[in-house]
Amino acid sequence: MKQDVPFSSKRLLLTLTLCACAVILLQNHDLSADLPFPLQMGSLAAGLAVCLLLFVPSIWLKLRLDSDVPTLARKRSRAEQSVVAAVYTLYFLFVAAYFLLPYTDMFCKKYYTETSPAFVALLLLACCVYAAYKGVNVITRFGIFLFVLALVTNALLFGGCISEVDLRNGSFDVTGNMDVFWRDMLYYTTPCFTAALFACLSGDALRFRPRHVVASLAASGVKYALVMFFLTFAAGAYAERQAYPTFVLSRVAHFGSFAGIESLYMALGTMSVFMTVSLLLCGVTKMWGKGGSLRVIAVLTAVILGVQLLALRYPFITAVLTSPLWLTGFTVLTATVIPLVYALRERRQHV
Amino acid sequence: MFKKWMGVLCALSLLLSGCHSARQIETASVIENVSVHRENGQTVYTFYLLSDSPRSDAVAVPAASFEEAARLAEQAYIPHLTLAKLELLLIARDVSRETLWRDIEYIAEQAHISPVAKLALCDTKTLLRLRQVSASQERIVSQIDRLEQDNGQLMTDYLSVFNAYARKETFLVPLITCEGDLKAATMVLG
Repeated sequence: MKQDVPFSSKRLLLTLTLCACAVILLQNHDLSADLPFPLQMGSLAAGLAVCLLLFVPSIWLKLRLDSDVPTLARKRSRAEQSVVAAVYTLYFLFVAAYFLLPYTDMFCKKYYTETSPAFVALLLLACCVYAAYKGVNVITRFGIFLFVLALVTNALLFGGCISEVDLRNGSFDVTGNMDVFWRDMLYYTTPCFTAALFACLSGDALRFRPRHVVASLAASGVKYALVMFFLTFAAGAYAERQAYPTFVLSRVAHFGSFAGIESLYMALGTMSVFMTVSLLLCGVTKMWGKGGSLRVIAVLTAVILGVQLLALRYPFITAVLTSPLWLTGFTVLTATVIPLVYALRERRQHV
Repeated sequence: MFKKWMGVLCALSLLLSGCHSARQIETASVIENVSVHRENGQTVYTFYLLSDSPRSDAVAVPAASFEEAARLAEQAYIPHLTLAKLELLLIARDVSRETLWRDIEYIAEQAHISPVAKLALCDTKTLLRLRQVSASQERIVSQIDRLEQDNGQLMTDYLSVFNAYARKETFLVPLITCEGDLKAATMVLG
């Protein structure tokens, strides 16, 4: 399978936007209901501003050198390439577990209570193997289809919740607990994992402009803000009583007697997680210079499934793998520190 | 080789999917409506099953709460009970103070019950009518809808009632009475 097919930068960023939006679809009491809505929005803006900052070194690499981390690592010694690839592999496996664990849990809690989460993960990963084998170009093409589905689902989700909006359900105070503000901000920095994906996959992207990244994060921000608005003012305290409060919006959405779009919501969640995990697998194979190698992809998938099984057995592993603090910390290293080191090195060489 | 593996995985996904515990629609006991009233000093939950018969197919379960009633009904009376299609919860006026908040709290924690299903208070005659004529439920729902159109402040579903309770406010709910014909009015709660 030919892997290094160039693709449009817009298409890559559209795909990354959809991956970033998967975070809010799987929201499970990560955000506090006590924070007033204006502070919630402030926390969201601050979180996304941090995400934008984390993109800066890889944007520089792409603009100035038209390159990405795997390409630059390959130019160095074999040992250095292996170390960098190992760090990214660990990170991408971590992110894959970060998404798969809440997704399978939500699927089993909301849909099939008698099915094992490990079995759901196995089926999804089987599809991801095939997608990763096809490569980034094909996955980003799938992103266009998913974008249309996301538009339809979001229109139904938000349109169907309008009649339930009651501004008394939330608060418009501008003062609140700042500890909660920072904790929520940490959650809103979660989409920064797309910066690590960008650092790894942007080498083959054509006609890149920095505004694509800004537009991608702004679109994610709008989606998050709308979800938070309807969650606060339409679902209110009711959503807090259930696991996965954002999912409750899909049950609240109704047009007359037609109520509930949870199937569409679950389809969007499934496809977003599928696309994210497939891109992560592509990222790992690209780091090792084994793009399209079915054997490597299969081994990685088996490792992800193994981690999933361990996490289901030992709750402390789940707690670590789904912690936004760990994710953001690890992302700073892979999305910013490593690309920054390469940017400084290349700059020194050119000077 | 790859295609063979994909074929095996596809076959596995079909064979090992959740269908092994699937329940046919004919054998499921779909609950359309639940009512609560007091009988001989005891709270009784009545589960109305979805059926095409002109007379209501109902099972009455004496229980202290909705949670206990649903559990007892599934264990002793309706083995394949499903509340996923519950459309209406009717609470007799005299038991509303003790049961409404507790039952709504329980419903709010259930993933399979729709948060926008209807809720109303009623008198004993309405419940009697509902037991005798299955079409009464549709009439009650249409009365609630009409009342909701006329009064924007009315709380007609679990979601809005739960949120109003959580805000510790007084609120209006529909009250269905039967005086010859079914009639709808409003009642203040909180």
